[in-house]
Amino acid sequence: MSNDKEETTKHIIEIPEITRVEGHSAIHVEIKNGEVQNVMLDVFEGTRFFEKIVVGHKYDEIPHITSRVCAICSTGHVLASSFAIEKIFDIRCDEITNTFRKIMHLGMFIESHSTHIYALALPDFLGARDLLDFGSKFKTEFADWTLLRNLGTAIQSIIGGRPFHPVNLHVGGLSHIPAKDKLEALLAELKMAKPVALKTCELLLKFNPPVERTTKPLFMALIPEDGAYGFFGNKVRSSNGFESDIQNYKEYLAEQAVNYSHAKRSTGQGSALFVGAMARLNLFGNLLQGDASAIYKSSPMAQGDNNSIWNNLAQSIEIVHAIDESIILIEKILARYLEAKSLNASHVRVQAGTATGAVECPRGTLYHHYELDTAGTILVADMVTPSAQNSWRIEMDIKEAVMQSSDIHSEQLQNNLETLVRAYDPCNTCATHMVSISYLEV
Amino acid sequence: MQIERRLPRIAVQGLTGCAGELLVILENLGSVLPFVQVASFPFAQSKNDLSDIDIAFVEGSVSQKHDIDSIKEIRARSKWLVAVGNCAVHGCVQSSTCSRYKAKELVEAVYAKDSPIEALDAKPLSSYVNVDVELSGCPIDKNQFLAVLASLLKDHLPYIIDRPVCLECKMRENGCVLIEKNLPCLGPVTAAGCGALCPSFEAACYGCFGPCKDPQLNAMATVLSEKGYNLSDILVRLGTFGIPEQVLSNLDVKR
Repeated sequence: MSNDKEETTKHIIEIPEITRVEGHSAIHVEIKNGEVQNVMLDVFEGTRFFEKIVVGHKYDEIPHITSRVCAICSTGHVLASSFAIEKIFDIRCDEITNTFRKIMHLGMFIESHSTHIYALALPDFLGARDLLDFGSKFKTEFADWTLLRNLGTAIQSIIGGRPFHPVNLHVGGLSHIPAKDKLEALLAELKMAKPVALKTCELLLKFNPPVERTTKPLFMALIPEDGAYGFFGNKVRSSNGFESDIQNYKEYLAEQAVNYSHAKRSTGQGSALFVGAMARLNLFGNLLQGDASAIYKSSPMAQGDNNSIWNNLAQSIEIVHAIDESIILIEKILARYLEAKSLNASHVRVQAGTATGAVECPRGTLYHHYELDTAGTILVADMVTPSAQNSWRIEMDIKEAVMQSSDIHSEQLQNNLETLVRAYDPCNTCATHMVSISYLEV
Repeated sequence: MQIERRLPRIAVQGLTGCAGELLVILENLGSVLPFVQVASFPFAQSKNDLSDIDIAFVEGSVSQKHDIDSIKEIRARSKWLVAVGNCAVHGCVQSSTCSRYKAKELVEAVYAKDSPIEALDAKPLSSYVNVDVELSGCPIDKNQFLAVLASLLKDHLPYIIDRPVCLECKMRENGCVLIEKNLPCLGPVTAAGCGALCPSFEAACYGCFGPCKDPQLNAMATVLSEKGYNLSDILVRLGTFGIPEQVLSNLDVKR
């Protein structure tokens, strides 16, 4: 009798809505006889069908439509789609255009990472109850967030036209070269923000992970194209030594649909992937320069600590990198400003073809793939977002955290699970863009 | 005796969208916090109480049954309901006018017939509930957002410009990218509010604030057609950011 009773011991942990993440998601954990049976990260944001939406639209509309997949990484979507289409048209943008694009991309990193760190992740560690509490009791942190975020939005507004959904980035290049005095003002702002970025790293170094990690994740990221730490490239590498051209992405990222979520789940050669800031540092942290390099080397991550919570710290190190790199790139443009001012966007010669473009977004590698007809109209589109790649890893982390917990009913465990999920900075609005779900039995 | 002043309670909620308006509001919190109590904002805080709301800002379109339940609940609990962003006002790029597919077609083509995942045609909030104020934009302009909030805090309906982008473009003394550069600028039929952003960056307006009041679509399509743009491409372009399908299908373009 007692044996039967024991066998039916079943608990369910439910977090109906995870707050302080982009979009809507929930966690369900089933535990039977003390063993975690099932972990489900349920992304219940409405489906958005972007890959189908763009079909029939002209190539020049694509960056502007796909930017709407996600506000906070819209610059990444604009660039990934432009890169893919430019490959089809065999366009190679000049160095100055590429430099502007890099600065714009770094602006997105500063805006996205600082908002995630301060407004979404940090309240867990500070103990801020709500926004009023955060704004009134933690005035320094609130001011630091405002300063860094304003820097990111200023970069994207001056080069792209607005804080997100940029209007100045197109297939072939920029339509307008930003004014010299505005670029000079950005330089001053960047230099002023640097100490705040360093302070952010110091703050995050102090918070120890609330849960332990027991398994080693499989990291993956784009190999930076010019041998320096960066976010553009055409090949990926993973921490088990695997390398591939991004055009083979369908082979190495076998996407699976799961019947409990609107988000597809990607696997890296059959294993759970971890993409994003921590993956980039793990694979390419040795390419960092200056302060970013020094902080990384002194961090637990460089000592082999793979706890996902350190992704917050990894993002803060990337803010330091983004500030230093933006200063170098803006100075480079200012030194050649007359030449820059006379630039025209590359002439676009429309032709049919198929290609894949990718960028490292704040949350990980983002792929855009298109097939165009001879008039430049989209025939087929596919996108793989970072959050879709991380979802399996997140579920494994949740399982580990539940297994370690002495009291599965505690509020502490629930809080820890939410903190853990937030560290990945999941973007559910991105994750539910997909259309090509083939339905699997689980 | 001291009477404690109760700050107006605002809610900031997202349905299905890109979280852009949530981000605009989050990034302008510093200006807002002295005047309101943020009763609910799940994107930005963990403790949320959706009761007795004075002003609710809702972004995203209604794209699934869960969204219908949410918007009805928010409407019932709020004094003022403000639809923020193109998704909430027009349906934006998620709408069937942009994709030219019905949700049912998408689901049948993509999911198995017995799939528990529901998808509805993405619709603006006003398709399901009464909306007091519609502030479009993709994303919304932060100054317009602050002006709407300030008006509603005084119980006034806000003024929101419904004239075309061309008005703001002329005020900025930009050259006309449609006439001078032959770019497919949709400024003449698009609602202002952005400050004529794209033409100020020497690019064509692509309509992200949705249609202006009484958009002259026949004239717009005729001009683009005269400039050599293919009519079916023009219609696809016009339908991207919120001009309704039935309006586009009834156009009478002179060729």
